[in-house]
Parts: sequence; C-alpha cells; structure tokens
Amino acid sequence: MTAIAPRLPAIGHRSLRNAFELVGALTMRDLKLQYQESFFGWAWSLARPLSYGLVLYFAFGVILKAGFPDYPLFLMSGVFPWFWFQGAVQQSSNVFVGNSGLLKKVRFPRAVLPLSVVLGNTLQFLLSVPVILVFLFGAGRAPHWSWFITLPLLFLLQLVLATAVALLIASLTVFFRDLEHITEVGLNLLFYATPILYNIERIPERYRWVKDVNPLAPLAEGWRNVIMQGSWLPADLWTTVAWTAVLSLIAWYTFHRLEDAFADAL
Amino acid sequence: MSEAALHLAGVSRRYSLAGPEGQLKTTLLHPGAAWRTRRKHNHIWAVRDVTLDVARGEFFSIIGANGSGKSTLLRLISGLSQPTTGTVDVRGRLSTLLELGTGFHPNVTGRENAIINGLLMGMRRSDIEALLPQIVEFAGLQEFIGQPMRTYSTGMYVRLGFAIAAFMQPELLVVDEVLAVGDGAFQRKCYDYISGLREQGVTMIMVSHDLASVERFSSRVGLMEQGRMIAIGDPHEMVAEHLERLAASSPEIRRSIEEGIERAIENDPAARAHHERVLAEKEAARKRKERGG
Repeated sequence: MTAIAPRLPAIGHRSLRNAFELVGALTMRDLKLQYQESFFGWAWSLARPLSYGLVLYFAFGVILKAGFPDYPLFLMSGVFPWFWFQGAVQQSSNVFVGNSGLLKKVRFPRAVLPLSVVLGNTLQFLLSVPVILVFLFGAGRAPHWSWFITLPLLFLLQLVLATAVALLIASLTVFFRDLEHITEVGLNLLFYATPILYNIERIPERYRWVKDVNPLAPLAEGWRNVIMQGSWLPADLWTTVAWTAVLSLIAWYTFHRLEDAFADAL
Repeated sequence: MSEAALHLAGVSRRYSLAGPEGQLKTTLLHPGAAWRTRRKHNHIWAVRDVTLDVARGEFFSIIGANGSGKSTLLRLISGLSQPTTGTVDVRGRLSTLLELGTGFHPNVTGRENAIINGLLMGMRRSDIEALLPQIVEFAGLQEFIGQPMRTYSTGMYVRLGFAIAAFMQPELLVVDEVLAVGDGAFQRKCYDYISGLREQGVTMIMVSHDLASVERFSSRVGLMEQGRMIAIGDPHEMVAEHLERLAASSPEIRRSIEEGIERAIENDPAARAHHERVLAEKEAARKRKERGG
C-alpha cells in the first residue's frame, strides 16, 4: 500500500464561469422559492427590517426619549445594512449541513452554496434601497453627489466582509455543529455592540474599546453618516478594511483545508 | 489492455466510527477517554487495498452484498471521498449519478431543476439549454417539464436524472443502483443508450443488485466482500460466485435463489438444460475434489 497524499481526481474542464452561473442559478431559485407562493412577494423581505426599526424607534425614540434627530432615518440607515450582513451570515451557518445530501452525492465547487446565500441577501438589500430613500426624503433631506463614490465603497467592503465571515462559519459548522447556535447568539449581541441605534459619541469612555475591535462599527457609522449627511467615509474605516483582509485570508484558507472532508463529515 | 480510463492503485478508505462532533466533544470533556479510544483504533476499513484498471469503453459492474464497500468505492472514484491510502486516477470527464434526484428541488419546475443539475455537474448553462430538448425527449417528459417536480412520480425523477447525467457528454459515467427504479421499457432505453455511448469510447462503471442486467450488459464484473475486491472477471462467473456466496451465508437466501432459478427456467427448455449442465459440472467437480482430498 502506498501512502501518497491523495488528491481529487480531475473532473474535467470545470470553469470559473460554471461556478458563477451556478451561484446565479441557485440564488435566483432560492429567491423565487422564498416568495413565489406569497401574495406580496418581495415586500416581505422589507417587512422584517421595517418592523424591527419601528420597534426600536418606539422603544428608544418615543418611550425612552433617547433618540437622535431624524431618528427613523437614523435607524433605517443602519438596520437595512445590518439585516444584509446578519442574514448572509446566519443563513450560511447551516448551508453545508442543510445541503448534506447534495454534498455527499455530487461533486461541485462547494463555495457556491455560501456564496449564493450571500448573493441572495445582497440582492434583497439592494431592493430595499428605495425604502431608505423614502425615509431620507421624509426627513426633508436629499441625496448627495459624494454617494457615487462612498456608497459603492461601503457596499463592496461589506460584501467582502460578509462573504468572508459566511464562508468561514459555513465551513466550521460542518465539524462543529454548535456553531450555528453560537452564530445566532453572537449576531444578536453584535447588533447591540454596533452603533446602529446609537452613535459612537454616546458610548461611555470605558466601553469605547468595543467599537475598536468590532469591524462593523466603522461600517455602521459610515452608512449612517454617508446617507444622512452625505459625509465622507470615516477615518477608522481602515480598521474594517484590515479586518476584512485578514478574515478573507483566514476564511479562504480554512475553507480550502476543509472542503475535501465535507462529504465524509456530514 | 487498451487505454485506461480509470486506474486505482491500492485504494483503501478508513472511517472513524464516532461522529465528528462526538469526537470534538469527547476530546474537550474527557481527554483521557478520547485518547484511549483513539489508541483502540475505533474505526472500520470500508474499502481495503483495491487495485483496478478499467479500459476506455468498458462496462464495468461492481456487485457484492450490502455493506461490502461498493458505494464507498464509487464515492472514491467520483472524488467525493478521499482514499486514506492509495491513488485514484480518473482520465476524462466524469459524470456521476449516485442517487436518485439529488439536487432536485420539489417546488421548482423540471426545466429549472435540469439546468441547476447540469450546472452542478459542471456544464455550461448555454450547453445545457441546447441539450435540454433532447434530455426532455429521452426522459419522455415533454408535457411535464414546466411543472414543479413535486408532481412527478419516482419514475419521472429517475428518467430526468439519468437523462441529464447521460447527456452531459461524459467520458466516464458512474451510476449507483438507480436504474433499477425505472420501468422495464425505460431501463432498456437506458442500456441501449449506454451501449451507444460505449461505442463512442465512453466508460461505464455501475453498482447494481440487478444481477440479470449486470450479466447481460457488463463487459467485466468485480465482486466485493468486506471492502476487498475479491475477484474480477467474466460477468456470468462473477454473478454465479456472488450467488454462491450469498447462498452459503443463509439457508433462506439459498431457498429463494433456488426458487428464483426454478421460475426462470420453468418455461425455457434451453435455460433448463444449461442450468442442469452447470449443476452436473459442479457436482462432478465436487466429487473429483473429494476423491483427490
């Protein structure tokens, strides 16, 4: 018996284009499935962030009177990007486990599963942009020319960050199933640790370190300041860029090391 | 032997008996126990030291009792599982059909499922769309292809699944016990189609319990037992050997095999004559052995 490190047998001319087409087809199928049998269709994808924002507005703005100027817009400019990130990561956490039948029986590039989850949530976020604009005009504000530069940058940064976290958690959950629940609890905590219903200035000095280690904090500040004031990107967004780069490398390395073992571990 | 399409060299696959999460939990909570278990070699060898060459254009079937390692071997060939030791060398584009309807979503139309299935197998969307009319026609699903697949019968699932795998122009087609589900007419159509593919140099590797089809269509058969490929050779001999081993394992199985043979030769004098000749030969061989021993 030889003990040569076994490699996957060649599968032929599997191209990058095939992987892209597969991500697209899976994403469209899942979006269609999600809404095809409901009367209001994609409007339901707006209902969750909207109702969440409404609850926060009532609790903090109306009852506790701890709000900020234009608090509905303040909340919505953070809640919609948050739901994009949260949905992508939470749904990815069990995407390999949930598709174990497929992984055990068909050879295909495994990364397409979390990627299609991220893409689906990204499309839903893009579809919610008109709603954010309604809140903007409702507050008597207007779009700003700098958006052409700032919004695509924020969008890309969050897309890469969400993809990295989704791929990492999806891969690790195969071998450590508790991670699905840890992710759910962790995301819940992360929401309140991120300046979405408050801003960074309100954080007491002794808790400021929390936003320094949270890559989503500068991102959330960025979304809000850009949308509300048309301001430039915050300087500490660089920490998010650094986090994103490091997490992308870790995620890719982890996925690459584990992917061949998925079918046997499920 | 002509050009090889598949080459397995000393392939073995070991599986640990504890689940992966169990292992982690045990390791964290009871490190001592986990270490002892690991030392006790708590694992099984699903496939042991299989060496095999399959030539281009062959129809190679793998038979054996349940749990003999047939399906694990197919998974190793398909690259879904990595051998613990040894090497798997597949030369050419592989198409696998290991399970009925994997990847089909019941609430999506047959057409969309066919496209996603083809993409999963590595085809390009434009190629699948071009082949789709042929796939649909082969599967006999013209009126149903626009319907959600939850309305399909089991037979329709198999037909669509096989048609997609067969039409993606494979060089090596790996099929695990799925054709048995379709009706007789469709099975015949599949085997005819496979014969056509073989003439173009396509290699077929199949696991099946349908021994009649194995005997009829295979060019060679491998017999597996407890993870080992114990014999490779002529389909008739291998099937006979397999039945002999099955019969030896339990009297009930022996009885039902004999009943099956009786039914098969009941109205077929030629088959009866053949069967009697085989029995006589066996008896003579046994007597020779007794006298010799």
